Amino acid sequence: MEFVISHLVKNYGSKQVLKDVDFVFEESRIYGLLGRNGAGKTTFFNCINSDIDITSGSFYFREGKESKDTIAVRPEDIGYLVSTPTVPEFMTGREFLKFFIEVHDEVTPDRSIDEYFDYMMIPEDNRDMLLKDYSHGTKNKIQMLLNIIAAPKLMLLDEPLTSLDVIIAEEMKSVIRSQKQGRITIFSTHLLDVAVDLCDEIVLLNHGRLEPIAKSDLGDNAFKEKIIAALKDQDNV
Amino acid sequence: MYKEFRRNLGKIIHLRSIIGYNSLIFALKKTPLIGKLVPDSLYGSSELKVIYWIIHIIKESFKLFIGKIFGLGMIYLASLVLMTAYRDYDMVSGVSEPVLYGSFSLFLFILYALGGILINTSVFRCTTEKEYLVFMLRMDPRKLNNTLFAYDLIKLFIGYLIAGIAGILFGAPVWIWLGIPFLAIFIKFFGAGATALIYKIRHTRNKSMKKNPAGYVIRITLVMLLFPIIFIILVNGFYVPLWITGTAAALLFVLGLWGLHEYSAFDSSLHRRALLDNIVREEAALYKEPDTTKQFKHLTAAGTVRGDKKGFEYLNSLFVRRHRKILFVRPVVFGCMIALIAGFVIFEFIAVYKTNFGAESCRNMVLHNLLNMLLFRHYEDPLQPYIESSAFSFFRWVVSKHLLLMIIPVSMADNSFKATQAMYINCDNSLMTFSFFKQREKIIRLFDIRFRQLIRIDLAPVLALGLVSDLILFYTGGQDYPFEYLLTVLCILLISSLFCLSRLALYYLIQPFTTTVNVKSGAYVIARCVLAFMGSLVFWIPLNSLILFFVLTVINVISVISVRKLVYKNAPKTWKVKS
Repeated sequence: MEFVISHLVKNYGSKQVLKDVDFVFEESRIYGLLGRNGAGKTTFFNCINSDIDITSGSFYFREGKESKDTIAVRPEDIGYLVSTPTVPEFMTGREFLKFFIEVHDEVTPDRSIDEYFDYMMIPEDNRDMLLKDYSHGTKNKIQMLLNIIAAPKLMLLDEPLTSLDVIIAEEMKSVIRSQKQGRITIFSTHLLDVAVDLCDEIVLLNHGRLEPIAKSDLGDNAFKEKIIAALKDQDNV
Repeated sequence: MYKEFRRNLGKIIHLRSIIGYNSLIFALKKTPLIGKLVPDSLYGSSELKVIYWIIHIIKESFKLFIGKIFGLGMIYLASLVLMTAYRDYDMVSGVSEPVLYGSFSLFLFILYALGGILINTSVFRCTTEKEYLVFMLRMDPRKLNNTLFAYDLIKLFIGYLIAGIAGILFGAPVWIWLGIPFLAIFIKFFGAGATALIYKIRHTRNKSMKKNPAGYVIRITLVMLLFPIIFIILVNGFYVPLWITGTAAALLFVLGLWGLHEYSAFDSSLHRRALLDNIVREEAALYKEPDTTKQFKHLTAAGTVRGDKKGFEYLNSLFVRRHRKILFVRPVVFGCMIALIAGFVIFEFIAVYKTNFGAESCRNMVLHNLLNMLLFRHYEDPLQPYIESSAFSFFRWVVSKHLLLMIIPVSMADNSFKATQAMYINCDNSLMTFSFFKQREKIIRLFDIRFRQLIRIDLAPVLALGLVSDLILFYTGGQDYPFEYLLTVLCILLISSLFCLSRLALYYLIQPFTTTVNVKSGAYVIARCVLAFMGSLVFWIPLNSLILFFVLTVINVISVISVRKLVYKNAPKTWKVKS
């Protein structure tokens, strides 16, 4: 399965944020979407998630490169983790999870609620607390957990590791890696090291366009410098 | 020293103008409809800044006039009136007019000025401009306070000198209209020095320098007590002789010198501490949208959902359980108020009936008609002409012919707007990030549940209004046709249901709330105005409850079907988080 973006344009008034995004994302891979602050990463995700209207272009799924049949993107195909997680504050973690599983008729949970909490390493004493009292990191884990249960085809992760402590960030990375099979994961960040550490492919959001970076060796310093050079070039435009 | 004063004052006035101008533009931008027409470039418009400055100077002059010139001018006028009255009624003897005038004006002014420093000592009040200058731009707090204090004293002196013109016109002697501005300055010194001393003592005792709200209430009470004291003294023909007011003034000059000394000894670190403890953010608040979310955040995990509710039913029940106060207090209070008022009206009716026709007749009337109401029979009473000629016939005319007037109390009791605010801030704005929440079937399922819930929330006032209307019908002749009592209640319920539907539909189709639950949508404001206008057009139309019930039923059915269609089609796009 592939996720195809074709000539996607998004303007805010006279300001063109996404100029001509044309890209194909492949299944079972984590794509690191790199861009400087304000490059349009969140706008890109919001367009895909239909939170904002696009100016022109299209996006769809297709079974493979050879396939000519396009498959429309439905809301349930997308899982979206926002950088500042918001959760229904009047519910406890357990109540929210119960509700979430119940409204997803199409999903057959393979674990009990407590097993899901264990999987995400959410402490027992947090599970019956109101979500408003959760830490930033635990809210992030809850968001991730819900997306794991919903099992979407496309997972959009908007800077999910920002402001997490080292332990929770490592736990989240491990969960993201374990969930990549059978879906497309796009992970936005402005931290190069995180992208290099976690992702299979790096894509630059540059001048409102997506540009793949050939990865001979993701750990190589020359590779990092190449990306930084590309980002600086974006700044000079 | 003068140069430093000018330089510091220049900085303060410059910052004040930036804060004032920008907050004005910000407020305009936040105004629905107008806001969209205001471009960001206005923040940099030098022409508008000049206009703002002209308005600002007019405002400052007005404040000076109201606070200083008008206040003292009134004292001079009052002194003239009192002097004339005392002289005409021979209440004093052997006192020359200037001395009498002087004693009145000095007496009134001293109380006025002391009252002023008790209520308002602004030297250490940390306004936004002071906060920026001291804590962000690192300006010396002592120099800043001194500059502003001196600036205020100059304004005070000039204002009181101008008021002296009124003094001259009303016959004030020179030593009064020239002396009072100096006395005012020294009273201000005294106020500032006394505050400085109190703050210094509090600081030595490791206590906050923050103004004590209880102390403020006590000071206000003391000032309020001055009025009856003055009144008693003057009405009884007494007056405070000049030698007493003169001595008090001399004492205040000495206290002023002491105050100046105390204030001067208040060092920079103490000034800084005093400002830190007395920060007020009134001006800064203008830059931000008012945060109205606090009222929605008092949540506890207490209680859970009973029964086997699942999915969206479970979500709704849990939401209602955790938001009971927000959702039900207003409608229930309103319902109780209606019931209470109605109770008094009915009691009055029965009491008057009893007085006119005796207890036996009254008992028969109440019991006989109670049975009639229960059996839906016609009201029968030989004393019908009495009712027809009384004010109660008006109420009957309303509930039997103009039930649409219930739009007014129903709109007042309706809590759907607040309910949608709570839905948004505590539930939907987070769930909107999940894809399942944008699926049409799920949106419409939750919409239906919420529509029924909003009707239930408004049920208390609806039933109270229905009960009151039925009681009015009952005691003023009973029902005119079968089921009128029932239809009356149902009509009010249908009116309420239209309110709930319109509020919920606007929420789903426009979603006007920002993350601080303020309305940020011209379309929403227009839609509500249009609905209110339509309501005002129809509420006077005369219809009996039988016809009205059918009309309202048809309108409700058509509205529900249309709104559900619109929501199903558009809500995935329109019902979303607004930045």
